[in-house]
Amino acid sequence: MRPIRIALTKGRLEKDTIKLFEKLGFDCEQLHNKGRKLILSIPNENIEIVLAKAADVITYVEYGVCDLGVVGKDTILECGGSFFEILDLGFGKCRFALAGKKGADFYSGYNEKIIATKYPNVTRAFFDKKGMDIKVVKIEGSVELAPLLELSDAIVDIVETGSTLKENGLEVYEDVVNVSARLIVNNVSLKMYQDKIENLVKQIESVLN
Amino acid sequence: MSKNYLITPEGTKDYLFDELRIRKKIEYKLRDTFEFRGYNQVVTPCLEFLDVFNMSEKGMPIEKMYKMIDSKGRLMALRTDTTMPIARLCATRLKNEKMPLRLYYNQNVYSINQSLKGRSDEVLQSGIELIGDSTDKADIEVLVTAIKCLQNLDIDNFRLEIGHIGIFNNLVKLLNISKEEKENIRQLIENKNYPALNDILDQVEEKEVANIIKMLPRLFGEKEIFDKAKLLMQNNSDLIKILDYLEKLYSILSELNLSKKIIVDLGIVNRAEYYTGIVFKGYIEGFGEEVLSGGRYDNLLKDFGRDLTAIGFAVNIDAIFNAVVKVKNISKTIPQVMVFAEKGYEIKALEHLDKLAQLKIIAEYSLKDGLEETMNFAKEKGIGRIDIVNENINTIEI
Repeated sequence: MRPIRIALTKGRLEKDTIKLFEKLGFDCEQLHNKGRKLILSIPNENIEIVLAKAADVITYVEYGVCDLGVVGKDTILECGGSFFEILDLGFGKCRFALAGKKGADFYSGYNEKIIATKYPNVTRAFFDKKGMDIKVVKIEGSVELAPLLELSDAIVDIVETGSTLKENGLEVYEDVVNVSARLIVNNVSLKMYQDKIENLVKQIESVLN
Repeated sequence: MSKNYLITPEGTKDYLFDELRIRKKIEYKLRDTFEFRGYNQVVTPCLEFLDVFNMSEKGMPIEKMYKMIDSKGRLMALRTDTTMPIARLCATRLKNEKMPLRLYYNQNVYSINQSLKGRSDEVLQSGIELIGDSTDKADIEVLVTAIKCLQNLDIDNFRLEIGHIGIFNNLVKLLNISKEEKENIRQLIENKNYPALNDILDQVEEKEVANIIKMLPRLFGEKEIFDKAKLLMQNNSDLIKILDYLEKLYSILSELNLSKKIIVDLGIVNRAEYYTGIVFKGYIEGFGEEVLSGGRYDNLLKDFGRDLTAIGFAVNIDAIFNAVVKVKNISKTIPQVMVFAEKGYEIKALEHLDKLAQLKIIAEYSLKDGLEETMNFAKEKGIGRIDIVNENINTIEI
């Protein structure tokens, strides 16, 4: 049987996932000293690890070229896709929030609000639910700049501690949704390698608790 | 505005050479599988009134249809599904047919997919519909036909997964919650999103029902699933009846000696408004999407004014092609022979071509003036044999 392939989101989630793997007793030597390699293996486990950007983790799992993936709920909400989301891994916790200049009354007035965000789909869904028409402006870098430069009335962004907001004179108006890292599985892989994947999931569940 | 005359729209492509030959072979094998079981082909228009696909809540999502407007201002759509046009046919031109009616189709369906995902908006589907019979015999016939489709394509590593939409529909009926919340629960089961499903169901009042629904996405696997499910659902006779029925189908199918190929998934809940009985999907190892899907839909034809039960499935030919063809390089078949006619022997040469065709030899007629030119051209194309036609027919190898 070919190895089970797991796609990991590079960066912070990667570190937390490696910690989790170590708790499972996996040999993570290659993951710690990966150099420039993009596909790594876990000796004795018949598992391959692929490192990718968050949105790409979803793409690889959706297509079944990776069987499992570790990715933030923020990316899942933004990108969507068809896969099984079977476990909340509990780490990488933060939240989406609506934020803007401190003290401003966001909901007042009749003018159409402009929202700057890296997550246009999450933003649209949030305001759709409120039945509120808004304009979304997609920003790639520091979203906090947009209200400061008066490009937008507010932002929808990931907030962890809120210190970036505070330092720039912004505040959270409203929480949108909480997010954390999720384990996702390709629809076909779960059926084809049911025993192997369920075993792995059980192992992970037991160390999470 | 720039003109787009050198490219095809996203999600479409031109099909070339051996790719088409392989696809045709797949189509023919499926056609044989259907025709030798007494199914008759129908072709429906590529263009229909949008209402055909959107007659009730069982319809297809409008935002995913390619739409047009006819000369009277009515909305039209490119065929986005074949079952609904067939339901229309059954209610109209086929309404006096003897039931059960066995129909098959092999045609493209169109839908707008999310951009930049590498999906095809134009997909070739082959499938069957068995109309006017709701017995277990019909269910088994269609399930076995689905399995035979994959087997006849020489696919070893496939799985056919069977579920029953009645389990979800019966359970969700017992919950005193809004339609939106029900849809939300359905989606969470479909995505096997255990954590979010638990959160939602912890808030409903009907604890016993909620506990069963929580388990639904986990109830997939082999035979042992029935015991697990029956224990869990023992207080609900409707559910037990459905489980007994599924188990019966499962054990009959196991006579095909395909244990391990057939799996049960009680968490199949796609298109819950549309399906009414068994639902099933086919997978091929190493290919991330389903290649076959179908189920029983006893209420659809009623919407078209004809109260008939039905079951069917569709095979996605493009998915099968991608799953079976590991070699990505599509080549072109090179003719074996080039036929050169000397002046005045053109008709004789063309008849020679016909004879070669009867012998299943692929030959190409040379349009060049002289023999030398013909030989050079044949060499360039990699054709190793030339038949020179004059009084006689002389074969030379080059």
